[in-house]
Amino acid sequence: VKIFVIGAGHVGSTIVQALHEEHDLTVFDLDEERLAAISQRYDVRTVEGNGASRRVLSEAGVTDADLLIACTSRDESNIVSAMISKACSARTTTVVRTTNPEYLEVWREGQLDVDFIVSSEVETAYAISRTIGVPAARQTDVFAEGQVQMVEFDVPEAADASLFGSTLRDARFPPDSRVAAIIRGDKVVIPRGNESIKPGDRIVVIGSPQAAQAWGQLIAPGTGKVRDVVIFGAGRAGTAVARLLLEQGIGVRLIEASRERSRVVAAELPGARVYHATGFDPDFLERERIADAQVAVFAMRDDMKNHFAAALAKVHGARFTVAIVHDTPSVEVFEHSGIDVTVNPRQITAEEIVRFAHDPRTQQVVMLEGDRFEILDITTRPGSEYIGLRFKEMPIRGAVIGAIVRNGEAVFPRSDDVLQTGDRVIVFTESQRVPEVEKAL
Amino acid sequence: VSPDVRARKGRRPPFLAVDATGALHIVGTLVAYLSAATLVPAAAAVGYGEPFWPFLAAGAIAAAIGGAVALATRGEHHRLGIREGFLVVSLTWLAAAALGALPYIFSGDPQLSRPLDAYFEGMSGFTTTGGSIVAHVEALPRSIALWRQFTQWVGGIGIIVLALAVLPRLRVGGRQLLEHEMPGPEIETLSTRIRDTARRVWILYIGLTAALFGILLALGLSGADDEMTPFQALAHALTTIPTAGFSTKADSIESFAPVTQWVIVLFMILGGINFALMYRAIVRRQPRAAARDEEFRLYAVLLALGALVVVTEIWSENVLPAGEAFRAGVFTAVSTMTTTGFSVADYNAWPTLALMTIVGLMFVGGSAGSTTGSVKVVRHLLVGKLLRREIDQTLHPELVLPVRLNRRVVEERTLRAVSSFVLLYIGIFVIGASTLAIDAARTGLDLSVLDAVSVSASMLSNVGPAFGIGGPLGSFEPFSDFSTVVMTGLMWLGRLEIVPIVVLLSRHYWRNI
Repeated sequence: VKIFVIGAGHVGSTIVQALHEEHDLTVFDLDEERLAAISQRYDVRTVEGNGASRRVLSEAGVTDADLLIACTSRDESNIVSAMISKACSARTTTVVRTTNPEYLEVWREGQLDVDFIVSSEVETAYAISRTIGVPAARQTDVFAEGQVQMVEFDVPEAADASLFGSTLRDARFPPDSRVAAIIRGDKVVIPRGNESIKPGDRIVVIGSPQAAQAWGQLIAPGTGKVRDVVIFGAGRAGTAVARLLLEQGIGVRLIEASRERSRVVAAELPGARVYHATGFDPDFLERERIADAQVAVFAMRDDMKNHFAAALAKVHGARFTVAIVHDTPSVEVFEHSGIDVTVNPRQITAEEIVRFAHDPRTQQVVMLEGDRFEILDITTRPGSEYIGLRFKEMPIRGAVIGAIVRNGEAVFPRSDDVLQTGDRVIVFTESQRVPEVEKAL
Repeated sequence: VSPDVRARKGRRPPFLAVDATGALHIVGTLVAYLSAATLVPAAAAVGYGEPFWPFLAAGAIAAAIGGAVALATRGEHHRLGIREGFLVVSLTWLAAAALGALPYIFSGDPQLSRPLDAYFEGMSGFTTTGGSIVAHVEALPRSIALWRQFTQWVGGIGIIVLALAVLPRLRVGGRQLLEHEMPGPEIETLSTRIRDTARRVWILYIGLTAALFGILLALGLSGADDEMTPFQALAHALTTIPTAGFSTKADSIESFAPVTQWVIVLFMILGGINFALMYRAIVRRQPRAAARDEEFRLYAVLLALGALVVVTEIWSENVLPAGEAFRAGVFTAVSTMTTTGFSVADYNAWPTLALMTIVGLMFVGGSAGSTTGSVKVVRHLLVGKLLRREIDQTLHPELVLPVRLNRRVVEERTLRAVSSFVLLYIGIFVIGASTLAIDAARTGLDLSVLDAVSVSASMLSNVGPAFGIGGPLGSFEPFSDFSTVVMTGLMWLGRLEIVPIVVLLSRHYWRNI
């Protein structure tokens, strides 16, 4: 598939990284050095020029492109790129990255001639709200309209004792769920029934949302339903998270340092309690019992501020901290200082966008551990060698089917169930095996 | 640069920062137009065979003075803005009261022939207060009685609204003028053009008056109410919609049949609703949207609550039998809260809790954008929300809490204006009550504390009757001249919602430095 990627920044390069092996990529950017960095690492064509220029696009052969991904950091420029490409070549699918949820709204109402819009803020908000739903999770995502949930946990010593000791086959884990992978140090175990979970493992569980919640209870006993969330920073990201949580009936406190912005947000979100304060004032944190919140989300624009505020909140006793991290290298710093979950908007945006480049049978892709693993939502093709096999008979090739969606209903397969034609499967696999798995299914 | 600004270029700066000449020009014009109102009672006088010349003379004098002022102050380049608006409304109401007084003086009726008394009556008319100097209303000539009612009807909708709808020349700065006239912190505009808004409010006002007149007439003609002659129907229709309260009967509404009293209760309640809201509910057929209005809901709740307390009190204390207690209680509560001032019973003899409730209701008033006086429900609502916020912020000083009204955020400036209005209101009420009490002591008038409090509250809130000698069946005639001036001033301040008048006391209103 021929894909044009406009913008070689963080999002652009993540997309290139995920797609370069299977697809024919052309990357546009104004910055020569960024392009050089990309072409050194990947086998892609680079074009130095403005991706929102008709001349540049048509000289690069936009009419041949199957997919155009406009993912620069400038919304308007992305939209113009997509609209020009639509005008030059109607068959090209266009995907636009935006940071402004308003464009998403306009697009939903059909007033923007773009095939797909991905809003970093909204996707980030969804990611955070999913994490908050299962506070013990490192990462979580949903499939099949929310019927299937994937959760990645770090298993601590303090986890429920029933997790340890018995093999997966004998253990009484929450029903409708399956351990898809155990990551032990650098090794990945695609577990058979005789494997068992040990403290310090990182596990990937696929199951129903109820089962995901139950797993959360096993991993971190005593965490109930979240009712009280504090969000540091009421920018677009923080506001989007707050709005989503309020819709779920979760109480939200927002802390915003700019007076003007705090007024605007307080007017916009009647349900939230908005403070005009900085998150760096220990007196304020103490007086307002900020650390008593079940979850603290750090959504300021500056990684360093988020880091400091999160560490300070931890010092004050915050139980569960979620930080938005903008620079990929910061992730390790955050995790090192004990911040429980990091969410990278660019990573999430890239993930969303990459979905459009996959096999059309593939509805959704989630990347884990950077992009070491992927979880695919894929529809089986007629004639696949797996059709008609019982799950226990399937040869293990570094992939695990966590759930299937049959006639719109999620089914969590037991070892005797049989895969049928037309089933949608939620499958966990290593990234390098994705083409293989897609072919096999 | 507008031609007006260009024309002023290079001239010596005027002595006053406010364009008093321009303001006077408008006041003069308004008075000249307003003088036409005297034609209505003049026509009635002809019909009843009573002397009509007092009205024509009053009209002619007002037209001549107004016309002369307008002529003397006419000019090309008036600067009419918010500053001039304050002066215009303040002066216009003083002038209107004078126009109201002239026919009383000319009529030579012994009850109203003293100029000060006549001026009080004129002010009580145009401010829709309804407190009267006249002890024996039925002794007045019918045309004079009708003029009393008619001044309230004209005053109710506001001379300026009338002028805006009729006089195209006032379009400049019209919004500011209307804001002083239409009570309440914010006017709701029904159309982009202020003139259209004024016209719509005016049409609704006429429509409601006509409807009430029709119902009362039907009650009278059908024999449901023997007292309700066509004259009485007109007279009371004219003073119910503006929630004004003058009656052509000595015992106000008491002698009318219960069904009439209930009809009047209904129309007093309607008169206390925001006209813009009513327009939306009735003309645009969006009653649901109107019923969601926060102020309307609180208005309904307060009316019900006030009525409940009064009814319970007079019924449990055996002042009146149950059925009558219910009617009299509801009527009195509604009449007081909507600042109408009709009465169906002499409540002077009622128990203390009922009286306290009545005084309390005087401070409530109806909705903003209605014809009622007093503080008005929306201000109570906003002050309540403001207090709740203050209490919340005492504990959480960093909390940003916008105050919302009907889901819209209310500007901080408006909130400040509302709270300072309420403080001013209380301050002026206290000054009024103490002045009246001191003056009563000086002249030896028998005025209890509750009487003085109720008279001050009743005048400032444009209700009308109070307790004691100024009670529903009494008159304000026994008060001294000085007290009459004080009461007239309170009515004036109350109708214009204090601020436009108090602003005039500031040095920087008049001069730049």
